[in-house]
Amino acid sequence: MLARSVLALAVILILTGASQGADAKAHFDNIVAPLLARRCLACHNPSEKSGGLDLTRADAAIAGGDSGAAYQTGKPDESLLWQRIVAEEMPPEHPLPEEERAILLAWIESGAMWGAVEIDRFRYSSDARAGYDWWSLQPVVRPQPPEEDSSWSRNEIDRFVRHGLTERGLTPAPEADRRTLIRRLSFDLLGLPPSPEEVAAFEADQSPDAYEKLVDRLLDSPQYGVRWARHWLDVVRFGESNGFEFDEFRKHAWPYRDWVVDALNADLPYDEFARLQIAGDALKPNDLEAAIATGFLVAGAYDTVGQGQISDAMRAVVRQDELEDLVGVVGQTFLGLTVQCARCHDHKFDPIRQQEYYQLVAALAGVRHGERDLESLAARGARADAVEAAKQRREELTKELAALVEPVQTRLLAEKSRHPADLHPYLAWDFRDGASFAPEAELTLHGGAVRTALGLELNGEDAYASTAPLTRELKAKSLEVRVRLNDLAQQGGAAISIQKPDGSLFDAIVYGEREPRQWMAGSEGFLRTQSFQGPGEDAVPDRVVHICITYDDEGRIVCYRDGQRYGEDYNTSKPPQLASGEVQVVFGLRHAPVSRGKLLAGTIESAAMYDRALTEEEVAVAAGNTVSHEDLRAGFNNTERARYDAITAETTALDDALTRLHPPRCYALTAKDPEPTHILARGDPALPREVVSPRGIASLSSLSPDWNLGGDAPEMERRAALARWMTDPANPLFARVMINRVWHYHFGAGLVDTPNDFGFNGGRPTNQPLLDWLAAEFAAQGYRLKPMHRLIVTSAAYRQAWRHDVEAMKVDADNRLFWRGPTRRLEAEAVRDAMLSVAGVLDERLGGPGDQDMKISVALGTAAHLYAPDESNLDQFRRRTLYRVWARSGRSAMLDVFDCPDPSATSPRRAVTTTPLQALSLLNNAFSLHLADRFAERLAREAGQEPEAQVRRAFQLAYGREPIAAELSSATSVVREQGAGALTRAILNSNEFLYVD
Amino acid sequence: MSTNSSVVDRRDFLSWVKHGLGSAALAGLMLRDGALRAATIPSEADDLPPHHEPKAKRAIHICCCGAMSHLDTFDYKPELIRLHGKSLVADERPDVFFGQVGLLRAPDWEFHQRGECGRWVSDLFPHLGAEIDELTLIHSMYAETSNHTPATFQENTGFRLNGFPVLGSWLSYGLGSETDNLPAFVAIPDSREFPAGGSINWSNGFLPARHQGVVLRARGTPIDDLFAARPIAPSQEAATRALLQSLNRRHLAEHQDADPLAARMQSYEMAARMQMAVPEVADLARETAETQALYGLEKPETADFGRACLMARRLLERGVRFVQLFSGGTFGSPRRNWDGHEDMKLNHGQEAARLDQPVAALLKDLRRRGLLEDTLVLCTTEFGRTPFSQSADDVVGKGRDHNQHAFTVWLAGAGLKRGLSYGATDEVGYKAVENRVHWHDFHATVLHLLGIDHERLTYYHNGIRRRLTNVHGNVVRELLA
Repeated sequence: MLARSVLALAVILILTGASQGADAKAHFDNIVAPLLARRCLACHNPSEKSGGLDLTRADAAIAGGDSGAAYQTGKPDESLLWQRIVAEEMPPEHPLPEEERAILLAWIESGAMWGAVEIDRFRYSSDARAGYDWWSLQPVVRPQPPEEDSSWSRNEIDRFVRHGLTERGLTPAPEADRRTLIRRLSFDLLGLPPSPEEVAAFEADQSPDAYEKLVDRLLDSPQYGVRWARHWLDVVRFGESNGFEFDEFRKHAWPYRDWVVDALNADLPYDEFARLQIAGDALKPNDLEAAIATGFLVAGAYDTVGQGQISDAMRAVVRQDELEDLVGVVGQTFLGLTVQCARCHDHKFDPIRQQEYYQLVAALAGVRHGERDLESLAARGARADAVEAAKQRREELTKELAALVEPVQTRLLAEKSRHPADLHPYLAWDFRDGASFAPEAELTLHGGAVRTALGLELNGEDAYASTAPLTRELKAKSLEVRVRLNDLAQQGGAAISIQKPDGSLFDAIVYGEREPRQWMAGSEGFLRTQSFQGPGEDAVPDRVVHICITYDDEGRIVCYRDGQRYGEDYNTSKPPQLASGEVQVVFGLRHAPVSRGKLLAGTIESAAMYDRALTEEEVAVAAGNTVSHEDLRAGFNNTERARYDAITAETTALDDALTRLHPPRCYALTAKDPEPTHILARGDPALPREVVSPRGIASLSSLSPDWNLGGDAPEMERRAALARWMTDPANPLFARVMINRVWHYHFGAGLVDTPNDFGFNGGRPTNQPLLDWLAAEFAAQGYRLKPMHRLIVTSAAYRQAWRHDVEAMKVDADNRLFWRGPTRRLEAEAVRDAMLSVAGVLDERLGGPGDQDMKISVALGTAAHLYAPDESNLDQFRRRTLYRVWARSGRSAMLDVFDCPDPSATSPRRAVTTTPLQALSLLNNAFSLHLADRFAERLAREAGQEPEAQVRRAFQLAYGREPIAAELSSATSVVREQGAGALTRAILNSNEFLYVD
Repeated sequence: MSTNSSVVDRRDFLSWVKHGLGSAALAGLMLRDGALRAATIPSEADDLPPHHEPKAKRAIHICCCGAMSHLDTFDYKPELIRLHGKSLVADERPDVFFGQVGLLRAPDWEFHQRGECGRWVSDLFPHLGAEIDELTLIHSMYAETSNHTPATFQENTGFRLNGFPVLGSWLSYGLGSETDNLPAFVAIPDSREFPAGGSINWSNGFLPARHQGVVLRARGTPIDDLFAARPIAPSQEAATRALLQSLNRRHLAEHQDADPLAARMQSYEMAARMQMAVPEVADLARETAETQALYGLEKPETADFGRACLMARRLLERGVRFVQLFSGGTFGSPRRNWDGHEDMKLNHGQEAARLDQPVAALLKDLRRRGLLEDTLVLCTTEFGRTPFSQSADDVVGKGRDHNQHAFTVWLAGAGLKRGLSYGATDEVGYKAVENRVHWHDFHATVLHLLGIDHERLTYYHNGIRRRLTNVHGNVVRELLA
């Protein structure tokens, strides 16, 4: 007690006069409040109120918690706050140090004066959380490099590194030899091994700037972009399929991958690189390339089934999950902050409020997945001309064909007896003859639908035709259509549909929706839909097919193609009873509402609808006036047949050309103006609270969070504002986070070893002055990456040799301070690329659609995509691994064993593991063996048949060195006895091949 | 190997120690906890399991894809039978996946009381019904979504999104394998087809890729790349291996403290042992005729799942930590999982016939071998099905829609109260109303039985110390013996 009083007295004396007025307030704000915030407010705040107590406000503290008031002014011994501290009950497990106790004691004794009305608990960092004063949130101030012995240091980086080493009593390693350096640089910058000739040239280069010249050459190589794009795609979790249940393949996701490669190769400044990925379409509306960059926003998974649910409530949950993922990836990629953790409540560890999370949601709420047209106006004109020419020619051919076919067809049809009109359809349409329809069959044409001599032409973009509501009650029915498809690969359009006008109920003849090229009886929610498991459509161009689906009273559904049974019929629940006035007939559209993917591209010649299920015989009659391709050919004379075949061949070629003339597309953002963004209590869309405007977060010290946007701001302005705010030079995290990533990839560990998290849960910098100097330099270089690479790899720190040092290991086993050279196991892609390279079969071409080393199929009767490895043609997959199709459920076992990440999870740092499966894969996988064989062939090609020469060449190619005597003799005898394949397989499996010093 | 030493995760490391490797790594590891620890946040949990004495050493998880009906199997609802053909009485129209709310539909199978515990089980599961005294049933499960795949993700990872590790990966990470010859986590997909999402269902998510489930097929080549993709003469194989070893040995000599290099050499020896172990474990002909018959291997409808179950038992016996069996493929047509929208009788009848006898056989077989004492058997599905049919409002249709509000799962084996039935649904089985259990609770309980505190099995990823149970979950103590 005596000691306590003395201590308190001492504090009071030190803070002379602190108990009075303004000084006391200042004392509270500067000394007491930070202490309370650090030690108490993690639990005793307005939202947690542990023990019922809130210590952020004077009134709340005096009102107290479950056990009473927090303190009695002037009476520490009667104050619960003080009692708990003395009893070491509070803070739990972390008793307060004496000096802090003294501060609180003095404060209570001197009258417990408060300063600011409320202590902002986000202001101060504590043992439990980060505040606004957290290191990474402070402005970047360029530090002065420490003075160090300049004989080792090559640039400023080294002065910081050397200083860090000296502090720990460590010394740097000597420079590595030339062969090691060129291998290190080549793998680091290009992800490929140097050729033996490059190694030899570098070893022989006596010029003082030999190393710098090498660095420049490598940075200028287009393979640099391929290597470093992979790092970026890891962070943004780039995948080329949707994930979730259907995992649909994204055919046009690759332009974003190419954009990243090109941007890196062109050394696009990183701030622009970031801005375009968030808002390229908004910031550069006339630049199509800029829109490709928004592929970043849609690189993640997408739940088609979830988004298509009937229930609004369930869809809203899916959407909120998607936005959480999006805000998460944007926040972590550019800010290194886990903003998404504040979806349900204020962030538990970092100074981010729940409201601020929703402000960022508001900025991104218009982001939707989709495809964009990538055509420039000039290109569009050129393409339109080509399309026009092709179409014109096609039309000529169609007319000629019709003239050729008609007499033969008429003759053949005349040989058949019964006429379709005898079947008495409820409604019938013949679009070709220009005749009018029965009143009830009158049609309204929508979009680009036109009626021509060929029939009802539907463009697959917006065209369809519909009747007024029907007057008859319907249960059993038959739908019949004679249709010519514009292309056989189209998906999801319907030739004819009978539907409620809102689309909530329909039965339709659908093409290619769930299974490519197959006809299907479409229905709402697939209620009456099963696969007929019929054959894929293979009608030649201009061939009309007759499709009829019959629905009987008991739910039996039968499909016919050209009057023949199509696949298997099946039973479903009974057909819906359709009251009079309830349904209509629609051509070209599967069901309302209109959208792409429901519209048919083709021409309907005629159609009919019956209020009963036609029998098999009746369908044959109905189909009777089409004549099969084979019958037609048989009916022609030789000259006619030759002309018919020639026309058919030319139209096929024209159709192929037209398909290729489709406009280029990319999977990217398709934004739409969002609904107001509400704060959601507990993150639950069923519990909306107040509306928020798009705005930043307040904790980035010198950067204002205000974007001057209202809650109804246009979508593009939101993302544009976000992009500008993120990349503002005053944002302390923007440069720090990125330059740390760069360091991480060069050295295998960042200065902060959690590249996606600079918050409380993340790592602390091992050398903050170095990090800040690099961040400042990065900004000074205009955020260009190549100068920073050059600076880093030309440092003495980077050029160190690997060395064994037991003493240094004791101090810094992880080499976080850089007392020896970086050394690493190659990543999965680099392993595969290096194998291709040394085998001499690497195809270095850049860009374009990905290589499918898998078979993509659609499971029977569903849209679920299955990805199975394809080892049938290994020679086909010789490009760099970046160009593999990265389907989420189409992972590669061989890449996985080398820790290739799940493309659904952001991967700022790769694991490096060793397993027996890795050994089995590299030893036995068809691709490994294939490359071992190609490698052996290369040896024979380049070194001749002499085993010793082959061994020498193998070592040069794979290791960049000559074999030592023992290696030469053992390897030569293996080649002599077992062939070069035994040697190359061993080399591709060896540690020296996979680990680079 | 300095910069990559975070890869030397502790479990690997301990296994190297066991094999006489790695004194330098030991020093490295100690130091990693010391001098520079403050500057780093390693990914690995600080306190590795076991956190308490485990009841179960291994587990097998049967995953019924497509949503198996609780109402037609284990959740006996006499009111539902009585109200067949009536409308559901509810405050608001049920919000179901396909939007149709037909009339209430009685189960298609009769229920009977079975076993000593006298619990009701339908005739859909005659064999499993006979084992009812072994089962611990939870009738009050509920899900957060009625969309299959997110619900399945949550069943296996605790989260509704792609990219999170599944239970088996967490166990591989937390407990490792009991053997060096076989992987810790094996997935055996349905022989007809992979489940929807394919390999996403056994993904390591953000855990190191070595914790991914290894697919083992119940027929054909059991594991990919076990043997060379083209024939290689034994003498050549031996020459390659010997040369590889000598190349690696020389390289290692230049890198004295580089344990990952030594570990990679070791991994080739382990691979060789795996080449012996896998064909042995996959060779079901080694089982007696009686055992093969027990699992129904001779009958076409049970042979597929019977092989999977028998294979699972053999894997567990040989030290595999976690085997996951999938009953069902994608959501296609014709149906090949438990998604009985159109016709429950046809669909569940078909799926149960595949599963019933083999799973009952597995329980019997584990018991008679004494394995059920320390093995956990789990049988789950992503959600349940509606008591009303999926049809027009005034019709009793043949199918049932998705029901996120209630479903039944069961556990059996180590540490459980046998024959217990926990929690309850309302009168017609539409919603769980008593002792509701979320997946987080289920996962917490499973981890507990395996000696793991679900709040302490963490992995730092991307700013967050991730757990299987997110920030939720309570062990359901009432289930524990």
